[in-house]
Amino acid sequence: MLTALFRRRGRVLLIGALIIAALIGVAAFAFGGSADVVVYNGRSQYGDETVFKQWEDANGKTLELRGGTAPELYERLRSEGDGTPADMLVTTDLANLWRAKEAGLLEPVTTPTLEKQVPAEFRDPDDDWWGLSVRIRTPMRSTDVPEDAVTSYEDLGDPQWKGKLCLRTSNNEYNQSLVADMLAKRGPEETRALLESWMANDPQILGSDVDVLEAIAARRCDVGLTNHYYLARILADDPDFPVAPAWPDQDGAGAHANLSGAGLVKGTAHAADATSLLEHLTSPQGQEEIVANGELAVNPEVPPAEHIADWADVKLDPIDVAEAGALLPDAVQLMQDVGWK
Amino acid sequence: MEVAATAPPRTARRGLPGWAYLGIAVAILVAGPLLVLPASFVTDPGAFGDIADSLLPEALRASAVLGAGVGLGTLLLGGSLAALVSFYDFPGRRWLDWALVLPLAMPAYVLVFVLLGQYDADGWLQGAVRDVLGMQLPEIRSTGGAIAVLTLVLYPYVYVLGRSAFLDQSRDTFEAARSLGLSHLQAIGRLALPLARPALAAGCALAVMEALADFGAVNLLNYRAMTDAIYRVWYGAFDRAAALQLATVLVSVTVALVLLERMLRGRARYHGALARGEAVVPRRLRGPRAWLATAVPMVLLALVLVGPLVQLAIWSVRSLGEGATAPALFRAAATSLMLAAVAAVVAVIAATVVVYGRRTQPSRVGDVTARLQTLGYAVPGTVVAVAVYIPLAWIDRQLDGAFGTGLLLTGTAIGLVLAYVVRFQALAYFAVEARMARLDPALDDAAQSLGADRSRVLSDVHLPLLWPGIVTAGLLVFVEAMKELPATALLRPLGNDTLSIAVWEATKDSRFDTAALPALLIVAVGLVPVILMIRLSRRGAALEGELVPPAN
Repeated sequence: MLTALFRRRGRVLLIGALIIAALIGVAAFAFGGSADVVVYNGRSQYGDETVFKQWEDANGKTLELRGGTAPELYERLRSEGDGTPADMLVTTDLANLWRAKEAGLLEPVTTPTLEKQVPAEFRDPDDDWWGLSVRIRTPMRSTDVPEDAVTSYEDLGDPQWKGKLCLRTSNNEYNQSLVADMLAKRGPEETRALLESWMANDPQILGSDVDVLEAIAARRCDVGLTNHYYLARILADDPDFPVAPAWPDQDGAGAHANLSGAGLVKGTAHAADATSLLEHLTSPQGQEEIVANGELAVNPEVPPAEHIADWADVKLDPIDVAEAGALLPDAVQLMQDVGWK
Repeated sequence: MEVAATAPPRTARRGLPGWAYLGIAVAILVAGPLLVLPASFVTDPGAFGDIADSLLPEALRASAVLGAGVGLGTLLLGGSLAALVSFYDFPGRRWLDWALVLPLAMPAYVLVFVLLGQYDADGWLQGAVRDVLGMQLPEIRSTGGAIAVLTLVLYPYVYVLGRSAFLDQSRDTFEAARSLGLSHLQAIGRLALPLARPALAAGCALAVMEALADFGAVNLLNYRAMTDAIYRVWYGAFDRAAALQLATVLVSVTVALVLLERMLRGRARYHGALARGEAVVPRRLRGPRAWLATAVPMVLLALVLVGPLVQLAIWSVRSLGEGATAPALFRAAATSLMLAAVAAVVAVIAATVVVYGRRTQPSRVGDVTARLQTLGYAVPGTVVAVAVYIPLAWIDRQLDGAFGTGLLLTGTAIGLVLAYVVRFQALAYFAVEARMARLDPALDDAAQSLGADRSRVLSDVHLPLLWPGIVTAGLLVFVEAMKELPATALLRPLGNDTLSIAVWEATKDSRFDTAALPALLIVAVGLVPVILMIRLSRRGAALEGELVPPAN
């Protein structure tokens, strides 16, 4: 049949048609839709697209979410420059917003509503980015482990956990930001000693925070280190899940807290719409959706999900992003040096 | 166009023949981007100092260890399997002969994610090892783990080339060795293996090249090889110049390997010519040894192919039960299909034009451009991505400045399609060329003497006869583009996941259920050309020529 196709007259036309079809296909990607607001969305894996839908419905506008990892979005913004179609950048980690700010990719914005909804400690002093949710990176323990056995990050390096410590890989952003923040606050010697004490416990290195929690539940490990909302999500389905947070440094600095956040892209042609979206994301209604995911709200009016209500009282040590951001490369190098896989 | 009275003309005409210009255009499109790699040393000489101090020695060492380990591993595994199937007869030999090629369809990153699922999420394999042996699975995020995984999916290169070399060896030579007092085993070790050495080494070189080019497996295993270093320099330190320079170093190594492989393959032919006649009669194994000979390859296949496929199917069913993935999966599948199809069409058209140009108007320029456009196959995907992206981004800015076109090239799939064509053009070229070589030049003469110009000879005479080659070429490019991960990860239009990206992203977060269905689709599509080639080889065509791009 194919032979017949080729034998017919006008194959040149056929080839031409194929090329044109190919180009049209490619072009379909190029000019796919023109929304009122284009969001480069680093939170695409968190299933909270409903927050964005709410805004569309309430305002009769359209928005387009383009998902990707935060570094990918940052690099794309940087190379697109003035030509970028993006109006807003959303990330799961402050380091990437800090990078974008440093590179001059963000447009400062502020409104009375935003200022009312987001406390000063959860936003950029220059109004370049605004926090959306708080995420605590904390030691976790099996409920079989006594409550006072782990009360600090240092305690994870206690020799009693040899072979029983579970960590996520060192190429994970949350770990990198934690170590960078430690470098900023404790200095290089102390941080190195701390990481070396963890490595001396021959930690089992796993691929995700969920794996770490499940390994603790299965008693493959006694203790581990994860973001708090992974446990919150599991506890929502299974209140008897045998893992509990071991909030660190509650008598001292507090537990390391990172922010998921958003900012307007420099030169956006839709600043008003994007600002309205930002206000919605930090409003009580918008924050409810984010809190449902187990994260903590930046808006002080919104309490945590019911089953973790008392986690609102945890003493937090928000990341010093201006210092930690600059130390990220050092953090990555240090983790590599001490042998964190 | 001028009508030649006698064709194909061998004499050089004044100036360049018309078809050569098309060849040059294709060569610029395909090989041009690779030229920006060394240029980065000129434009940004400072960058190399920084990376050379920290990253480069470690990454080079990691890649060297990986390459050496995979080379040795594939040589031992592929070589001994080829010898086993060639020189011994045992139950199941007939189907193991081709089944042992199948792991080629399993992308390394898929195997890695199945294994990570066992290790991280406490899968059945972990459970079984713990219950039976009372120990944990060996840590797979390790040098040994990376080498093992890549060896398991790359050994078929050595197996295929070794097998065809053993088939070429003459029974007479082997019998002569036996009559001089060597046992069957001694004859294999002292005669057959040394004779097959060039073929085995060539297969080994191909496997090492693939190992050095791998990104997905090393990235998921957090093994800091060169490809991963390039990715981390670009998307961690955001230093494009340093990424380009690392890429230049890596590509120099792979190009050296290509040259080595060509040299060895040349010698392999020479050896083949020496040994003519019927193949050696395999010796029948009996009793426990026969069963062992059956069991070992079967365990291997169970580990690399059957087990992972079953696990993927189980996870897929579970993810379907959760129901959330369907629309996202369809979108990813549609994106993958479309990108791969476009890349295949473009590559096949380019290949056909160049192959025909070389046939109808042979010229030195034609030879050079042909060789240039097959260069990309030796270049790892991460490198192709950097090489394609940077010039395109520059052109984009110029175009946008002049015409306000927006990001025509890098903001769309055009950059990614170009990267696929750069990377896989060689596959299309070799497939079309192999078919074209079988067409009698008298056809061209006849058509032209009847008054057809060159375009008509191509469209009316060659294309109808070429189509099996064209379909093979398109299929090869299509499948490779579907499986491709690193260039896709770096160049995809935002918000458009492909199947390979879906697998990778989900695996990074240990969402194994979510990763399973797209992975299963990739493996299923990947099996098509492998099975096709196995069937071709059974019809008498050389497996080697179709499966592995021959030296040109």
